[in-house]
Amino acid sequence: MSQDHRHIVSPNAPAVQRNWWAYVLILFVCVVNFLPYLYVVLTGFMDAATSNKPEPQWIFTPTLEAFRFLLFEKDLLHNLKNSAIVSITATFLSVTLGMFAAYAIARYDFIGRDDVSFWVLTNRMMPPVAVLIPIFVTFQTLRLLDTLTGLIILYTAMQLPFVVWMLTGYFRDIPRRYEESAMVDGDTWFQAFRKVTLPLMMPSLTATAIFVMILSWNEYVFALFLTSAGARTMPPAIVAYSIGANISWNVLGAAVILITAPLIIFVLIVQRQLISGLSQGALRK
Amino acid sequence: MADLSIENLVKRFGNFTAVDELDLKVEDGEFIFLLGPSGCGKTTTLRMIAGLEMPTSGRIEIAGRNVTFLRARYRNVGMVFQDYGLYPHMSVYGNIAYPLQVRRHQRAEIRRKVQEVADTMRITDVLDRMPDQLAAGQLQRVAIARMLVRQADIFLMDEPMSHLDAKLRGHMRAELRHIQKKIGTTTLFVTHDQLEAMTMADRIMVMNCGKVLQFATPLEIFERPADEFVATFVGEPHMNVFDVRLTRANGRSVADAGSFAITLEEAWVLENGLAAYEGRKLRLGIRPEHMRVAPAQSEAHPVGAALFSFEPTGPEDIVVAKAGEVELTVRTSASGMAGLPTREGAPLALGFDPRWIYLFDGETGKTVAQARASLSAREKAA
Repeated sequence: MSQDHRHIVSPNAPAVQRNWWAYVLILFVCVVNFLPYLYVVLTGFMDAATSNKPEPQWIFTPTLEAFRFLLFEKDLLHNLKNSAIVSITATFLSVTLGMFAAYAIARYDFIGRDDVSFWVLTNRMMPPVAVLIPIFVTFQTLRLLDTLTGLIILYTAMQLPFVVWMLTGYFRDIPRRYEESAMVDGDTWFQAFRKVTLPLMMPSLTATAIFVMILSWNEYVFALFLTSAGARTMPPAIVAYSIGANISWNVLGAAVILITAPLIIFVLIVQRQLISGLSQGALRK
Repeated sequence: MADLSIENLVKRFGNFTAVDELDLKVEDGEFIFLLGPSGCGKTTTLRMIAGLEMPTSGRIEIAGRNVTFLRARYRNVGMVFQDYGLYPHMSVYGNIAYPLQVRRHQRAEIRRKVQEVADTMRITDVLDRMPDQLAAGQLQRVAIARMLVRQADIFLMDEPMSHLDAKLRGHMRAELRHIQKKIGTTTLFVTHDQLEAMTMADRIMVMNCGKVLQFATPLEIFERPADEFVATFVGEPHMNVFDVRLTRANGRSVADAGSFAITLEEAWVLENGLAAYEGRKLRLGIRPEHMRVAPAQSEAHPVGAALFSFEPTGPEDIVVAKAGEVELTVRTSASGMAGLPTREGAPLALGFDPRWIYLFDGETGKTVAQARASLSAREKAA
């Protein structure tokens, strides 16, 4: 019996599996996902006649006609500027205000804290369009219609609940002892917050800011009703320019490129921050 | 460097009293330990001294200055947290320099001081690294260095060694004690490890349920415990304590434990007026090292018992035996165990050193009679 043990050998480690079919699947999903977008991008470079043909056109002579129309005839750069001002300012304000609110909820035990944080959440439960008319009337009374200020205030208010909820969780993940350590080392509360907590929060803040930025950048309904020429942002402007009596597909395609490109470039730049920010809570013990 | 004085300190969280009427006077340069089980209020006390928690009532003075309700930054105390509290986004150098940068010291001066303290703590080679690249022992050294770098009045340490492995801990004990005495800054150290407290402290404050049970030198805590809790909390393996009833048999005082009885020394009984306790329920305590074990019953080993478990530790052996319902732990040198059975259930005979018997009140736990013998007395005589 015991001699048999000499012949027992450990099996080799299994060969590394090469799941080629997984890549095929991924490729398939990508194609299905990106093809419509790709076609929209392609239409942006077609002339009006080609883009309006009922069957898809894959081979054509590219032209910048639609871009010329949007940028020079319709002055879409004006709307782009509005969009940029509104979404950047609203993002800055909502993240800054939300940061302090979230910090208070995460760190301090005050009467009604849980009620406050629940109330913040309920603000997101109602579909925003439900209050479209009251907000229109309010804006009219306050002379905020068709102003960038009005949109900034509105977007800040709309994004605040999201910011507060996201950041509360992230603040809770940062142990309080860092701040306590800093305060014993001689910092005031605010210095400890700025020099110790904030740097640790940077990835989470960036991730939240990107989300809020995207939401504000793409907001359509309120922008449509509360602005006319002066403060009109990109989404309603694009619809107005491309969809009239009949749809100009090439203009729509060009508009899609113009509205998406800044965001894609922006996210590509801050991609690493975004990913580390989103997974921050999970990774830290 | 400063002395510390605490009067009637109370801290309540809602209905829960974390610290109850605590008084403490610490002389300049003392190394004081707050010892107790978790949740006994020792960390809360430390946090109140640091200014991270505000007391409900009472008074805290550092160097004669009333700091009871001052914020942490105005108190000039240094602190090491349980999990170090090092800033993860700063290098080791940045961490140590931080308290000085906050105080706007000159750059050159900061560099010199950090270098100096890094030399003391022997961490000069890791100054450029980030905290998450360090081992637990180094992290702890960095945390202590950050505390030492300032000329703080008082150092506070909240279980700084609980994350170290046993070997490092033993090493750090000696080193920390050495540094504390060299620098001479009054230090308060919170721990639940009685060995740390016994080996490093000038004086130990034993706490339980927010109350101070005893505040004395390690030897006094060990030999003259104020109550049963202190007696059993300090010492490893801890003191044997069991219910007894004082009676008289054949003209001698006897502690009757039910299944066996221990004859007490007459002089000791008289000294402590134990006659008054006759018939009352008491608790008898004796440390494992003051018990004897033998293979068969004799005059010196009157109690028959059965071996419950045998734990050899190298130089000495721990024998747990059962005499009736009472479980007794005996610590004996390895040579003392020679020729004894080590099998579970084997019969043994146990003896008690009558000079080292303590009696505690059955209800309050307060010490009724301290042991007659004393190491410190012997030291004084020598």
